[in-house]
Amino acid sequence: MCMDQTALRLPSTMTQAEIKLCSLLLQEHFGEIVEKIGVHLIRTGSQPLRVIAHDTGTSLDQVKKALCVLVQHNLVSYQVHKRGVVEYEAQCSRVLRMLRYPRYIYTTKTLYSDTGELIVEELLLNGKLTMSAVVKKVADRLTETMEDGKTMDYAEVSNTFVRLADTHFVQRCPSVPTTENSDPGPPPPAPTLVINEKDMYLVPKLSLIGKGKRRRSSDEDAAGEPKAKRPKHTTDNKEPIPDDGIYWQANLDRFHQHFRDQAIVSAVANRMDQTSSEIVRTMLRMSEITTSSSAPFTQPLSSNEIFRSLPVGYNIAKQVLDQYLTLLADDPLQFVGKSGDSGGGMYVISILTSDFLRVRQPVLFGSRCARIFRLVLQKKHLEQKQVEDFAMIPAKEAKDMLYKMLSENFISLQEIPKTPDHAPSRTFYLYTVNILSAARMLLHRCYKSIANLIERRQFETKENKRLLEKSQRVEAIIASMQATGAEEAQLQEIEEMITAPERQQLETLKRNVNKLDASEIQVDETIFLLESYIECTMKRL
Amino acid sequence: MASRGGGRGRGRGQLTFNMEAVGIGKGDALPPPTLQPSPLFPPLEFRPVPLPSGEEGEYVLALKQELRGAMRQLPYFIRPAVPKRDVERYSDKYQMSGPIDNAIDWNPDWRRLPRELKIRVRKLQKERITILLPKRPPKTSEDKEETIQKLETLEKKEEEVTSEEDEEKEEEEEKEEEEEEEYDEEEHEEETDYIMSYFDNGEDFGGDSDDNMDEAIY
Repeated sequence: MCMDQTALRLPSTMTQAEIKLCSLLLQEHFGEIVEKIGVHLIRTGSQPLRVIAHDTGTSLDQVKKALCVLVQHNLVSYQVHKRGVVEYEAQCSRVLRMLRYPRYIYTTKTLYSDTGELIVEELLLNGKLTMSAVVKKVADRLTETMEDGKTMDYAEVSNTFVRLADTHFVQRCPSVPTTENSDPGPPPPAPTLVINEKDMYLVPKLSLIGKGKRRRSSDEDAAGEPKAKRPKHTTDNKEPIPDDGIYWQANLDRFHQHFRDQAIVSAVANRMDQTSSEIVRTMLRMSEITTSSSAPFTQPLSSNEIFRSLPVGYNIAKQVLDQYLTLLADDPLQFVGKSGDSGGGMYVISILTSDFLRVRQPVLFGSRCARIFRLVLQKKHLEQKQVEDFAMIPAKEAKDMLYKMLSENFISLQEIPKTPDHAPSRTFYLYTVNILSAARMLLHRCYKSIANLIERRQFETKENKRLLEKSQRVEAIIASMQATGAEEAQLQEIEEMITAPERQQLETLKRNVNKLDASEIQVDETIFLLESYIECTMKRL
Repeated sequence: MASRGGGRGRGRGQLTFNMEAVGIGKGDALPPPTLQPSPLFPPLEFRPVPLPSGEEGEYVLALKQELRGAMRQLPYFIRPAVPKRDVERYSDKYQMSGPIDNAIDWNPDWRRLPRELKIRVRKLQKERITILLPKRPPKTSEDKEETIQKLETLEKKEEEVTSEEDEEKEEEEEKEEEEEEEYDEEEHEEETDYIMSYFDNGEDFGGDSDDNMDEAIY
């Protein structure tokens, strides 16, 4: 490692598991070069350009390319230090968010249909874009899927964009400050980007007029469009861009808030009934914009306000609502708390609930273990004998489970001496759960799991590479033959180029890859819950 | 847990705490000691939670796979340079092996990025629209080779501009490193490049062409 004194090296606070996962994600999405640079920055902290090139043994140009990509995608930030040295820093946790892209996109689809879905997708795929660029891209894509002759109007896409901005799902990126005065002296080595809070969701007044265009259809779709046909710069540059310099990105925190709300509502629905969950959902909706994403509580809402905001179809009397609210507040899980009496009673929703952890126990150790875990969690401290009695599990089994959980650090042992000399025979040994460390430990396992899943999937794909390529070639041939009107018999012949056992192999591969992908998605859901919990708890401490 | 089956040392399993309090009674059979690393794929004791399925599950799965494929096609996916073969082949001239001069395929907003990240590119007149990669003249700063260069560049008139800009280009070429023949010199090349931009005093900035190709200089 280069012992360059000028570079400030912060020790990396990321675990090996997280770094490994980041490496896999970067490699899958951006290739090896970006991965090398990204992982290096994650490991070593903030570094300037030359040091990165030297330490990684990569050519300067390659490092520049990689950094451009990483900065564009909000994965690396830069800062100008003294003597004009620019240092780059990686945002490890942001890299891990790439796992969640499908979920962000799907959520937008459920809220704002296909148009919204594509807007968020384009923003995620490109890191950041101007509104006019997004609208154009999305209109083109939607037009592709429409019937012949129909096109997507820019205005419609713009409207959806505005709605996304209003509800904070997309936000403006910090921008280059406009310097009115002609500043004498050399320009700074790097701009300092700023954003005003109140401008973050301000949509520029654009009159985007136009319709989506279909791509010039090329028959060789399998080969993709050769570069020459794509008029990359010529057409765009001719027209002045009205919102030049105003870039937008997806607001991941807002999505996380949405996921959290969903989790709370479904937990309430599971525990109580549909109506309670609707009430809670209403309360959450009212607090959407006013609650910051990592606040442990919502702002207090009066029951009058809640009553007024209930969805139109819901006909429950005010007294009934009050009864529900009381019930919710009294529930030991403490989803809803009462925080005052003005306006008919003020209620808050407690985001923080350890319910999340309890759900995950059965997966790892079985439901009996989960029972024990819940018990210890609830009672805070228990002796061995007490555990057996309360859980109604035979002593031997209970011991076994307790030790298993102990060895995995879900449960810990606390000593309470009865006498000052801490003699073992006169000391209480109590089992207790340290939720925060249990959550962290579980999270760590999740990162490892996903890394394993990705590696396995890559392995499976690599093993069958030859066969996959063959199958793709055959598909391409068939497609082109169909386009030129080939006969059924000819197509049959080509299809038979893939033998039956080979087909079987492909089927199995597809099934396995699907399973692995689905598992990744599932584990990421758990990661989200755990991370939210930890974040909330840390804020409280 | 200090107890180890094996009883090394004086006396068997002397503990600092009372075993009974934790629940291990005298004479209870303890689980066997672990003598080897745990098996690679231990049998699953409990059934795993079912995978997400149904419409939502299927959609998200398909979305995920589509995104993976899509990202590989975007210009942000940087592929390592194709290893150059030992001998130059005629077909090389007709293959689009990648972005010209190690530059970037897409167009970042340079106003938002540190200046040092710009890669200087020898500007071609018709740029990326052409498939043909012109044979880049070798780097040189000597007069003799400059003349040869002039001849070579004149050869490929259809890709180059007026002689005015030829001169400007050659000026640039002197200062730049353009690589194509000896590819193992790439490393060496880049160092030169680095020094170049480090000492860049901005003289060349904007002086290259009067065309409106503002993405020319990287």
